[in-house]
Amino acid sequence: MNKSLRFLIVLVPIIIFTFFANVLLIEEDEKFSKFNTKNFPSFELNDLNGIPVKYEYLDGIKLVNVWASWCITCLVEHPFLTKLSDANIQIVGLNYKDSNNKASAWLQKHGNPYIFSIYDPRGDLAFDLGVTGAPESYLVIDNQVVAHIQGEMTSKKWETIFYPLIKKASNET
Amino acid sequence: MIKSNFFLVSSFLIFSMYSFGEIVYQFEDIAQEKRFYSLISEIRCPKCTSGSIASSDAPVSRDLKNKVYDLIIDGSSDDEIKKYVSDRFGNFSDYRPALEGANYILWFGPFIFLSLILIIFFFKRRAE
Repeated sequence: MNKSLRFLIVLVPIIIFTFFANVLLIEEDEKFSKFNTKNFPSFELNDLNGIPVKYEYLDGIKLVNVWASWCITCLVEHPFLTKLSDANIQIVGLNYKDSNNKASAWLQKHGNPYIFSIYDPRGDLAFDLGVTGAPESYLVIDNQVVAHIQGEMTSKKWETIFYPLIKKASNET
Repeated sequence: MIKSNFFLVSSFLIFSMYSFGEIVYQFEDIAQEKRFYSLISEIRCPKCTSGSIASSDAPVSRDLKNKVYDLIIDGSSDDEIKKYVSDRFGNFSDYRPALEGANYILWFGPFIFLSLILIIFFFKRRAE
């Protein structure tokens, strides 16, 4: 057997192994950090109090959080969102496929970390945003969606994906 | 007596059908219907590990199917519909990724790999 072939027999499995290890061990967070920036979709919806929400309300730095009173994981991430809102992060709620009464009661019971919540009972805006369920969170900077995560917002996701982008944006202005 | 029971039972049957009925999509012609079913089997359910929206009953898949239906009725082409979905849910949503950028590796990688193996084989045999 020639030398180069013996070399290949060792090398090829190593290459294949590293390739699959890379693909399989990719961090969830990393998957979400590759995001193509897009415009926040236009919408005509009210907030939970029935007041029309203007598109301009989404300028500056906003965390858009998809939530619903029927969503259990939303309750899990709720304390963390409250902490963020206490740290002066502006969080806009997107109330997803919920009823106004239940949503308002939920906020009354658990506290309201949102500056306002867009009421989207049919999930039209959510569909245009690419929401697959609740909870999900989007980072919106000057009406541009720059980051998106699915599932619970954790301090790890916040620090690795959202916070660096916020820091970068506030340095630029 | 028997007659009234008959009506009672048949009305139960009729109404139970209504409550468990699947959404039935009405099309203008067979071509539209065919397009609908081929499209929903080519769009990946964004909530599932792997599976088309045709095979999924997740709420988001139901929304997607309704949207695909609406777009077909409105006269959108297949490419327009796929673009509409991938604009919202990303490239991930398309089971047949477009021929562009990094997707070339996806499409031709296996063939390149296969031909490399064949070339090595060929040279090895000639050397012998």
